[in-house]
Amino acid sequence: MSVSVFITPILIILLLLYCAKKKVNAYGTFANGAKGAIQLCLDIFPFLVTIFIAIQLFNASGLTDITADLLAPLMGVLGIPTELTELMIIRPFSGSGSLVLLEQIYTDYGADSYIARCASVIMGSSDTIFYVATIYFSQTKAKRLLYAIPVALIANIVASIIACQVCRIF
Amino acid sequence: MVLSSLVTLLFINPEDSINAMMNAGSDAVNLVFKLLGIYCVWLGIIALVDACGLSQKIASLLDPVIDWLFGKTTPDTKKYIALNLSANLLGMGNACTPTGLKAMNELDKLNNSTTASMAMIMLVVINATGIQLIPTTIIGLRQQYGSTTSSDIIVPTIIATLISTLLAIFLVKFCNKIFKRAKR
Repeated sequence: MSVSVFITPILIILLLLYCAKKKVNAYGTFANGAKGAIQLCLDIFPFLVTIFIAIQLFNASGLTDITADLLAPLMGVLGIPTELTELMIIRPFSGSGSLVLLEQIYTDYGADSYIARCASVIMGSSDTIFYVATIYFSQTKAKRLLYAIPVALIANIVASIIACQVCRIF
Repeated sequence: MVLSSLVTLLFINPEDSINAMMNAGSDAVNLVFKLLGIYCVWLGIIALVDACGLSQKIASLLDPVIDWLFGKTTPDTKKYIALNLSANLLGMGNACTPTGLKAMNELDKLNNSTTASMAMIMLVVINATGIQLIPTTIIGLRQQYGSTTSSDIIVPTIIATLISTLLAIFLVKFCNKIFKRAKR
């Protein structure tokens, strides 16, 4: 048990107390806010299906493995263990997919190995860029995303490089 | 991406292509139902935070940061951005998306164009670099797989995240300047 599991419940308790003090109708306000969730889900659903199909096809076609093989030499130059190439490719696309890979790494190399620690830090310091960008921009009229995706990708790659270097020290 | 995958599948295993698409479809349906539950809870809580005036307080607290990161915005937008950033920092991953989406909605009203604004990109990039500081899921997972020092990844994660998020913010600001100059 880490401290962080307490953060959310404690904050919610404080919030409810504060509402009582301010005499806000907590029940009605909460229900009214929750109503918005349905519209939100309807809005993001079509984009979710599309990106999921694209990712699944990319995986099923084996293009993921091919890309991983192609990028492996580059990883060596950047100081990232080549065993992690697949994880780094899947990570921006799929949260559940990368979790599966992470578990695979834990079983193959042991959860305390250098590779497993690198993989953990990579997972923790990056996010599913394409998924985040898809649903966030689904709320807007914006069609031209300019530099959004490249910048996020660069930042995540840098995070991975730093992750592997820092793991060597700690 | 879809096209290249389909073409490859045509050569390797044509049956798989339709299977993969169907699986992905039902995966998305499952996910959206899960999300619906999560969003209900968080949007309800956000409504509460809003109603008792807390969100304005958080917003005014984070005001200088938001001004610097996102440029000129309205008080409403600031409110949601502030909630999104604080949810991110506290590691309440599930609360980030609903607040972020609301903020995007507000930013879209301000932007009113088919080209993404700097503030939109900034918000997406900050969320996509995962400014969550303590990776609880991963620590739990490592414990399950027999790690004896499962939380020794916290410090490296914080270092990697901080550097990459700062870099991302800098890059967004930098790219924004280049694009502005190109327009002129």
